[in-house]
Amino acid sequence: MLRNPLRPRRRVHAHCDIPCGVYDPEQARIEAESCYRIIEKYHGSTDEVFRQRCVAVKEERAEMTKHHIDVLWHDYFKPDHVAKFPDLHDVCWKASKAASKVKQTTDLEAAKELLGLIDRIDDMWKATGGLEKTRLNGRPS
Amino acid sequence: MRQERGQRRPLSASVARGLALGTGLAAAGAARRWLDVVEVEGGSMTPTLLPGEWLLVECRSYTRRLPRIGEIVLAPDPRDATRELIKRVAAVDPDAGTLDLRGDAPEASTDSRTFGAAPLAGVRWRVIARYWPPGRAGRLT
Repeated sequence: MLRNPLRPRRRVHAHCDIPCGVYDPEQARIEAESCYRIIEKYHGSTDEVFRQRCVAVKEERAEMTKHHIDVLWHDYFKPDHVAKFPDLHDVCWKASKAASKVKQTTDLEAAKELLGLIDRIDDMWKATGGLEKTRLNGRPS
Repeated sequence: MRQERGQRRPLSASVARGLALGTGLAAAGAARRWLDVVEVEGGSMTPTLLPGEWLLVECRSYTRRLPRIGEIVLAPDPRDATRELIKRVAAVDPDAGTLDLRGDAPEASTDSRTFGAAPLAGVRWRVIARYWPPGRAGRLT
């Protein structure tokens, strides 16, 4: 095939790391709720094997919670969001820390605190566009 | 070239304009080394520039003056020197020798919000026109 002589050889990048732009704190919230329930079940059981499984699965879920919080923090939130919510960095940082604590311990209070912090991230997400801007067709209703 | 001249009449005015811009100016400029043509890759400049569009760029203006806010420029990617970015100038700081680059699609652009201010010295090329597709051919910035 002949190369179109008008076609430039030089490529320039209108670059975006991840152009999907889909974000929702619900993702973090579901993993954190899972941790909360697992910790309840852990304390309600005397079966050592079951309790070991609870710990293993909770650590995995807590790590995922932390990942989802970090993605919102690093990728979704932009400088103009920080200008609007000066405590944005602090809330995200505390939420990541809380997720670490949930991973390390079987403290139900820590899981409660984590859920509260994710809700505060959710409030900031909603106030900066939320569903309308980041989910397809504004799902879920 | 002969083929284009033969086809000029049946082609629409916009195609003729695109071809004239693309071939005429690029050929003249290439000889002088201050004009070049580039192809856009990626979507961070939408809706202004779409992926796959062909543009005319020049490197004479910035030997005489600084880039101005609102101009679309080429700049080396601060995170990957082998790659050239295309972004709009959002701010210029002559004292620091830097400028702020932004994509026109803030939700789908990796730019100065992520990698910080870019060095002015790296910005040599200014986008002046689009010559393909013909329907969207015309001057830019």
